Amino acid sequence: MNNLFEDFNDIEMLAEDLQSTDAGERIMAVIELTDTADPEVIPHLATAIRDQDINVRKQAAIALTDFDGVSTAAALVGALSDEHAEVRQAAAVSLTELKDPDAGDAIIPSLGVDDEFVLVSCLAGIKELRRADAMGPAIEALKHHSASVRCEAVNVIGWLQDKTSLPALRSAAGDNDALVRRAALTALGFNKSDHAEQILVAALTDSDWQVREAAAETLTKSGSAGCVPSLIKLLEDEYWQVRLKAVRTLGKLDARDAATLIGEQMTVPVPNLRKECAAALGVLAVSDTAKFLEPYYDDNDPDVRKNVRWALEKIAHTA
Amino acid sequence: MPLAQSSTSVPVVVNDDLCIADKGCTVCVEVCPLDVLRITDMADGRKTAHMEYDECWYCMPCEADCPTGAVKVNLPYLLK
Ligand code: SF4
Ligand code: SF4
Repeated sequence: MNNLFEDFNDIEMLAEDLQSTDAGERIMAVIELTDTADPEVIPHLATAIRDQDINVRKQAAIALTDFDGVSTAAALVGALSDEHAEVRQAAAVSLTELKDPDAGDAIIPSLGVDDEFVLVSCLAGIKELRRADAMGPAIEALKHHSASVRCEAVNVIGWLQDKTSLPALRSAAGDNDALVRRAALTALGFNKSDHAEQILVAALTDSDWQVREAAAETLTKSGSAGCVPSLIKLLEDEYWQVRLKAVRTLGKLDARDAATLIGEQMTVPVPNLRKECAAALGVLAVSDTAKFLEPYYDDNDPDVRKNVRWALEKIAHTA
Repeated sequence: MPLAQSSTSVPVVVNDDLCIADKGCTVCVEVCPLDVLRITDMADGRKTAHMEYDECWYCMPCEADCPTGAVKVNLPYLLK
């Protein structure tokens, strides 16, 4: 009991230092209040985040990273409109550290604002809280003129993993900004429906290589045998990064028809791609693909060597 | 580790006017993984942080975490 009173007195004494006329003392009060790790200090930090001195406000915004809950979120959301960019930025970072779903109560109302920075920060903050009531505002935010906002909105929708979001993700997959399209394709990973797969397969011919790569990567998680022909075509993509994801997904889908084409990729002077091809060839274990692997038994890259030797053993074992 | 010859010729320079070591701040000293920063008394009796040893990884937390922006890490040209 004694300890409780002592802690309370400590906090109150430190809180009094927040009234000091010296900004340095107020900063130290913020630091020491934070060090208590006691949620009782949140209201004091919420006051400090509105201090007249920019360094005190910034320190309070940073300090709130260590706390959670609705009061913390409310103080941080308020600081997103601070006149000073450093404070706004610190508050935005702290918002993404929140873990308590209840903290979303203070964020949801701000998902309706038009300000780009506030909206991006609030969407980023609510994402991992996985609040079902964020779905509506996130879908609405997909109409925002800013691609950054649309991107964060897609991320929120993706984290919710709700099948009813498919129309919204389909529309985001056709966005004119490549980053938004990529985010939408990644978000489709949880959805194993034919409709989701159609969207991903269509994106394999996107004009942006990173979008093609994201689509191929997501198909590793959710693709079915139906997407194999489109993935085989992707083995001719000009970007090895895209081919690498196609190889991985073809291996995962047990696409034995693709084994020879995967084997032909072994000549590419990119160790990461050779490593992936060797792994896929080992998984597929098609006997006449050993000839693609043998020249790389002593590859300079240890990871390639390891996968090649494993794949050859696998093929020999299967034969 | 070589001792710093002067507090302005080393990679990490502290603006004494901004430093609040006087109020008890030791943030930069605590975050430095090389333990090369110290709090020292100035001629006018105030305290300030300074680089005691001329050794640095240029890892930056001293500058990033200083609550008043008093620390400046001067990155060598090749690291910029
Ligand atoms: S962190 Fe900044 S204010 Fe604190 S002691 Fe170091 S230089 Fe001074
Ligand atoms: S840059 Fe890193 S190593 Fe150098 S003084 Fe700062 S914290 Fe220490």
